[in-house]
Amino acid sequence: MTSGLAILAVDDEPRALTDIKRLLETSASVERVATATSAKEALVYLSGGRYDALFLDVAMPEIEGMALARLLRRFADPPAVVFLTGHPDAAVEAFEVQALDFLVKPVTRERLESALTRVEQHVRGNEAAKAAPPGEATDNAAAGPDVVAVDNPKGGGKRLVRLETISFAQANGDYARIVCEDGRFLLRTPLSQLEKDWAATGFARVHRAYLVNLKHAVELRAQLNGTAVLIMRDDTEIPVARRNVAALRRRLHA
Amino acid sequence: MDQRIPGQSPGVTPVSVHFVNNVLAAAASYIEEDPEAAREVLAELGAFLSHRLRGPRTVSPAEELDHIGVYLRLEQARFPGRIEVELPAVSDLPSPRVGAGDVQAPVSEALSRWMAQHTGHVRVALRARGDAVDLQLDRPDAPGEAGERLRIPWGVATAGSVA
Repeated sequence: MTSGLAILAVDDEPRALTDIKRLLETSASVERVATATSAKEALVYLSGGRYDALFLDVAMPEIEGMALARLLRRFADPPAVVFLTGHPDAAVEAFEVQALDFLVKPVTRERLESALTRVEQHVRGNEAAKAAPPGEATDNAAAGPDVVAVDNPKGGGKRLVRLETISFAQANGDYARIVCEDGRFLLRTPLSQLEKDWAATGFARVHRAYLVNLKHAVELRAQLNGTAVLIMRDDTEIPVARRNVAALRRRLHA
Repeated sequence: MDQRIPGQSPGVTPVSVHFVNNVLAAAASYIEEDPEAAREVLAELGAFLSHRLRGPRTVSPAEELDHIGVYLRLEQARFPGRIEVELPAVSDLPSPRVGAGDVQAPVSEALSRWMAQHTGHVRVALRARGDAVDLQLDRPDAPGEAGERLRIPWGVATAGSVA
């Protein structure tokens, strides 16, 4: 990120849009603000220019903010999403689509600046990840989302899990099985997507079926056939594919 | 998805947090460019909440209709230029008492649903009858197009309706 942030604010309520636009424009970290009053208009803006983040209303006619956020996840290099809403209960769903933050209207200056800081960190993290050699993600302090909403097996619904508590994720078809300090949960996101989303938060794809939080790893044990096994804090052994061993060793020793 | 303000008394038609937060966001947007408009929005929101947060009570149809008027002005502040309003004259109103918010809540529910499904202008017309209020929603720029009609009986509680 060489200059200030480029933000696209999207809300069908014109006055709420005016308010967030003014707040964004008077923030030192923001260089450019565009506004759209619908998801369709937002897609037109996104097709014509580069934005670091969308500040996106949840409830809009025709295409809701949450649907637009899901659509953006199919982009090769999607902007970060910060949700704006009058519905405090939408937070869990927002984290399910890997939103970076969730702001309840009307937004305070302090809360907005906190969200913008997260956007800046996210952008820096993406830039560092792009600059790193292939297969070697960075441990830059930059953060993506630090919470993820998983399916709660007890009584249904969603449960929020902090990324730092996750030991590893295991591929399970189009789902990922999450193993964390609080137990095992299912996340309706493919491992390949989690690899992108969590790259800046210390996770590494060590095997086709495993994405590992390296902060939970305690030992890399080489195997005779050129592969390796990563030992986690709880003694779980994670297989490391041969092609990932060298990059992983460099990263752990860095 | 909708959430009600906690601590409201049983028997009182609940107020939506979503509605209140969005009205506050609209008020915030007016502060710099039109402070008087911001003050008006806050004063109207105060009147709206006063009607609803005073515990279980009945009000006259005229008071409830005045409350609906306040509510619709707040919606107009959220969506300037999109909402036209026609309210019945007070002389047309019947005499039975109604629960505070009992008629406003279904009006709000219908308008929120309409706004979620349509873009452009909407006309909100209320007609008072002896036993009910007739609500009609339609698009003034699309004459002949079927709108939405709803009959709301006076004095019938609308549990589950919001703001």
